[in-house]
Amino acid sequence: MNVAFFAGAILNGLVTGMLYALMGVGLSLILGLLNIPNFAHGVLYALGAYVMISAGKAFGFLGGALTALAVVGLLGAVIEYFGVRRLYRVHSDYILLLSFGLSLILTESIILVWGPVGITSQPPAFLTGGIDLGVTVYPKYRLAVMFITTALVLGCYLFVTRTRYGAILRAGIEDKDMAAALGINIRRVFTLTFAVGTGLAGLGGALMSPVRGLLPTMGIDILPFAFVVVVLGGLGSLPGAILAGLLVGVVQSLMTAIWAPGADASVFALMTLGIIARPQGLLGRR
Amino acid sequence: MSTITRRHFLTTTIAAGTGLLGVPALGTAQGKEIVMLGIWPFTGAFADVGPLLDRGMRLAIDEWNNKVIGRPIKYITRDDETKASSATRRMEEAIDSEGVKIVIGPWSSGMALACTEVAKRRKVFYYFSGGTEDIAGKRCHRYAFNWAASPYTAMHVVVDNYMRLNPTHKRWYLFVSDFAFGWSVEKYTREAGSHHGIEFVGADRMPLGTREYSGFVSKAAAAKPDVLCLLNAGQDVLVSIREAHNFGLAPKVTLLNSWGVGTEDFLQLDPKTRENFWVGTNAYYGMNTPVAKKMTEMYQAKYNVPPGYAPCAAYGMTRLTLRAIEKANSAEPADIVKALEGWETQDWPGKVWVNPKTHQTVRDYMLLRCKKPDQMKHATDFADIVAVSGQPTMPDSMNECKDIGSL
Repeated sequence: MNVAFFAGAILNGLVTGMLYALMGVGLSLILGLLNIPNFAHGVLYALGAYVMISAGKAFGFLGGALTALAVVGLLGAVIEYFGVRRLYRVHSDYILLLSFGLSLILTESIILVWGPVGITSQPPAFLTGGIDLGVTVYPKYRLAVMFITTALVLGCYLFVTRTRYGAILRAGIEDKDMAAALGINIRRVFTLTFAVGTGLAGLGGALMSPVRGLLPTMGIDILPFAFVVVVLGGLGSLPGAILAGLLVGVVQSLMTAIWAPGADASVFALMTLGIIARPQGLLGRR
Repeated sequence: MSTITRRHFLTTTIAAGTGLLGVPALGTAQGKEIVMLGIWPFTGAFADVGPLLDRGMRLAIDEWNNKVIGRPIKYITRDDETKASSATRRMEEAIDSEGVKIVIGPWSSGMALACTEVAKRRKVFYYFSGGTEDIAGKRCHRYAFNWAASPYTAMHVVVDNYMRLNPTHKRWYLFVSDFAFGWSVEKYTREAGSHHGIEFVGADRMPLGTREYSGFVSKAAAAKPDVLCLLNAGQDVLVSIREAHNFGLAPKVTLLNSWGVGTEDFLQLDPKTRENFWVGTNAYYGMNTPVAKKMTEMYQAKYNVPPGYAPCAAYGMTRLTLRAIEKANSAEPADIVKALEGWETQDWPGKVWVNPKTHQTVRDYMLLRCKKPDQMKHATDFADIVAVSGQPTMPDSMNECKDIGSL
């Protein structure tokens, strides 16, 4: 094993980690506000990839990815408005069941529309091939994904921490009833947050489709890691989700290089250690 | 005037109820229906393959008009979830509740090695098609058969013919699925490679269902191989091919999937990513045998795509089982077993012979080379068949099935 090998492994980890962070941020936003894990998050990631492949034929890769963001985000708003909203006053188990049910319905819908057989998606022509980074040659597309997801995640962070709407959002996460009592339309905040969170999942799926291909069950593969990121980072903590995403990605990638069969197990071991050492998560509050 | 007493009512009701419940039981006991179980993965890592296997088995049963030796066939399926525990539990449940005596499947070698033990204990006829050598090797028994070519023969067909056409490609890197299937094909790839002076410059074993191949591809690229030999399965093959292209390793380096499904993988890959992709397979729709040609026609007419290994295997196993039932004029597992043992006949792969000592179906295996996009005559003209052979067969001394036992 040499420097190039480890440089490649760390870069792979950063790319995967930023994807996990993107998924984790979306999941964390929803979890923070609604207090429920969205089990449909994985299938919305898959749906984003499929929307991208169809829309990409008409609008090109970038247009396809933006369409995925818009369509999945809009679907998220619809889910919140017509489904989740009606269950706020009952036990949270019902929202969990709804997200489970939606996950199954959407997976089957993907199979009905696009078929059960996987699809390969190609990156845009200008991002094909590798680039010599000195220590290693690395695929241009993966680097592009890393930069885009980094920008998105940082953008989300700045939006939540530096804007007025972000302050309303944080107020909603802190105390929904108090925020509502102060005249904030908390229901609209819920809908928009759900749309942003799911839209990010859809965009993540669209961006990763040239790397991993498309399969109706692709959301199931990523969902456990997104949950690990949220738990490890701290429930509802965006900086925590970013840090945990990177940590999970790099640990998984390095473990792949050192002892492949233990790669996925290492992620769950990391989460277990994290919970023991800091039950509130890396950047979460007690 | 007669009145209905409570006792009379109860007696009549119980008698009628017993009768109603007993009629189907008697029907089953008299063996009117022949219940065939297809145990396929409809969920889990091989979820995409289950429906295709189901199609293949249904096609064969439809060809027999749902009837064999004058008795109706009841085809049932169970989802093995790509888990050995689910496969065995559901197989047992189907045996108990449906009276199953004929089991075909599952798809994965890891699951099959568990199912074969159930077949042995419950004395049901069992046909499997896969890469593990153990079904017709050290775990052999009288009730279990393997339809796929032996991994020894298969890897020799692939390695011998690839090296005949590319004699300078001596640096090979292996991606191996870390379960029974991967271990068998790796063992025989290395064995076949030793006859050609192949240097195995690296090998990685990965769990089935691995989706992050970038680390493995980086490692492989650093070893500068001539051939990246993919001894993995399912979506893992496709993910590794995509990554090899993303990293610029392919098409410069040959991608060789020694035990592949062919058509279904080709359909999922962009034509550009099929360039310099070679595949060893048990079934390809271009197979030039009367049964294969007819099956392809039926399948294409029904599903509008050519069949790959999965439907061909399910069809081939079911067809051979139905023919064995006709030969034995019985659907009893022991009679089907005896009918198949030592049988030499023509079927989907052409000439097949069922080795009575091991229950290995001795048959041809294929090596395919994918066409470049501009060489394809139509959308599914994926590959040229560069070799079809059933040789060499595994020497008896290498087979670990030393005593197949009794019925």
